[in-house]
Amino acid sequence: MRQEKIRRLVSIALLLVLVIVFGTTSEYFFTTTNILTLLRECSVVGIISVGVSFIIITAGIDLSTGAIVGFTAMICANLLYYTNMPAQMIIVIALLIGTLAGYLNGILVTKLRLPDFIATLSTQFLFRGLALICAIRTSGVITNKVIDNRGILVMGGSISGLYLVTIVFIIVAVLGQIILKKTQLGVYTYATGANRKSAELSGIDTDKVKRSVFTITGFCCGIAAIFLMAKLGSVTPDTGTGLEFEVIAAVVVGGCAFSGGRGDIFGSVIGALFMAILSNGILKYNLPTATQLIVKGSVIVIMVVFDSLYNGYMEKKIREKSKELEELSGGEA
Amino acid sequence: MKTMGKTKKILGVALACTLLVSTALTGCSSVKTDDEVSKKTSSTSQEVKAEVKNPYKDEVKIAFVPNVIGDSVAAAWSTGMKDELAVYDNVTFQTFDGKASAETQTQIMADLVNQKYDAIVLQSADSAALATSVKQAEAAGIPVITLNLDADTPHAGLIAMVDYEAGKLVAKNMAEGMNKTGKVVIIQATAGATRGENLEAGFRDEMANYQDVEILDAQSGEWLTEKANVVMNDFLTKYKQIDGVFCHNDAMAEGASQAAEAAGRLDGMQIWGADGEAKALEYIEQGKMAGTIYTNCFDQGATAARLAMYLIGSETVTSSYTSTPIVKMAPIVVTPETVGSIGENIRW
Repeated sequence: MRQEKIRRLVSIALLLVLVIVFGTTSEYFFTTTNILTLLRECSVVGIISVGVSFIIITAGIDLSTGAIVGFTAMICANLLYYTNMPAQMIIVIALLIGTLAGYLNGILVTKLRLPDFIATLSTQFLFRGLALICAIRTSGVITNKVIDNRGILVMGGSISGLYLVTIVFIIVAVLGQIILKKTQLGVYTYATGANRKSAELSGIDTDKVKRSVFTITGFCCGIAAIFLMAKLGSVTPDTGTGLEFEVIAAVVVGGCAFSGGRGDIFGSVIGALFMAILSNGILKYNLPTATQLIVKGSVIVIMVVFDSLYNGYMEKKIREKSKELEELSGGEA
Repeated sequence: MKTMGKTKKILGVALACTLLVSTALTGCSSVKTDDEVSKKTSSTSQEVKAEVKNPYKDEVKIAFVPNVIGDSVAAAWSTGMKDELAVYDNVTFQTFDGKASAETQTQIMADLVNQKYDAIVLQSADSAALATSVKQAEAAGIPVITLNLDADTPHAGLIAMVDYEAGKLVAKNMAEGMNKTGKVVIIQATAGATRGENLEAGFRDEMANYQDVEILDAQSGEWLTEKANVVMNDFLTKYKQIDGVFCHNDAMAEGASQAAEAAGRLDGMQIWGADGEAKALEYIEQGKMAGTIYTNCFDQGATAARLAMYLIGSETVTSSYTSTPIVKMAPIVVTPETVGSIGENIRW
């Protein structure tokens, strides 16, 4: 527990360092508009990262999140274009589609026993293909229609400058953290990721846990699709492409281990913020594009290497401590 | 069973809450959409534009946001702009990678508005998705010049390479090259790409005039040489007779040419691309391609830079435009006979 807290404090410290560096070197960084924009930028990735955190904690992976977002948004765009359905219904449908898509991933992983990587890579292709098939066409040519339904556009709006997506991100993150830390599902999620065999021997239905975490992620993708669509005011067959990698990067930078059993939503929120601040701050320097990419990549590598070294160090400490205890107990015997 | 019931209940409650909250938000006047915010800003943009700069003396920042930086066309535009602006020490020119994502581009656009750039040149990934960002920039007094793909809102200017017309030109020249009879295949862009769709629409419309030309098949090569090579190999296996190949870009035409050459069927085959990149011109010189539609992308970039400089120094309020002024770059049909007219200095 103490180790987790130290790790979190270090993450926050690194985030602050980044903020201070950008804030002191650019006159545009600490402006209200920039901070609100930055929070908006991290929110869509952040919402999905809440779900993906659950998956990564179970030692899984989801490569289909971007495609689920794209497919869900494309269905909504069709409903907006071809029907007079009210925005509220479309929002509910988006959540249902996202949830079902996530559930499908869960089924593939648990019932067909496909590895997470393969299952979600396949559904990435599947949902991207479906989005292309569903794309709105005029005389056979794909046409990206502008969304003018206020009920949808308002989701991309703001109250006194603070974007709704940011408010929803905070709510989703808080709920996610509560589920992870205070409910049985959360305990089972950690147990599945830490040691699946042991979890099964303890009577945990790890398949059900896996299905649940994929379904939660699908639900988060549904939410993200609504806000992404509202922000862009249009949907293309490519909407959400590459989003899965941004999400995974945010979750891993936030401290969730690919090996499973470690991390939480708070860390992923920090990860999403970190990635958004890095992308936002780096644009303020007059750097050539190639340099921007190198700096961004290097900072992420440093973060992950630090995480790995820190964990190695802490594990060594724990081993030493247990060895000491063993020796002590042996001596006493 | 109990857990399933509980899950359904939670989902039901969540959806009901969503319905209630979204209904409340839709009717809530304190929530402002991006459009409403930019309209409010736009009403004061007259004041913003009152601070007209001298683009040849004052500190000026111009940004270029291409769809993706690795693309040869975008690289040529960037070079054209950079060379045009290089003589002015007061001008800072910066390129930002759009990573082929409308979402990334909207983020970059928001940041450029925050950083008070003086002009933005944009190759929009999606005309509809970038409309709000363009509107916001224009409302803030920043002229936005688009390249090739328009944004769905009036803005300072569009400097476009022709695509529908280019497709028609390819069809006309290919059909003539095949003596108005033959079998044709198409290697397409990534599905849904607007330029690809427009090129093909022009190609098919023009080809409809040639009744003895049959379009056998069309498959995506995803803009890539390697992928086009695989698709072409598949076509060569499937069809005994292929007289013409139309690829949505030159990179794919090169891949198709390599496949046809390896299969010993290149001779007499009309392989056409579109863009006019340097390697394709070499292929035409070597007889490996029948032609392409060349656009001087350096000039297109330079034109965008000139227009940006003009607008920065002008009192014109582009946010009040009701339609976007268009500059069309003249397409040049390049064949083995005319390729010599494209000099080394304008090859990109």
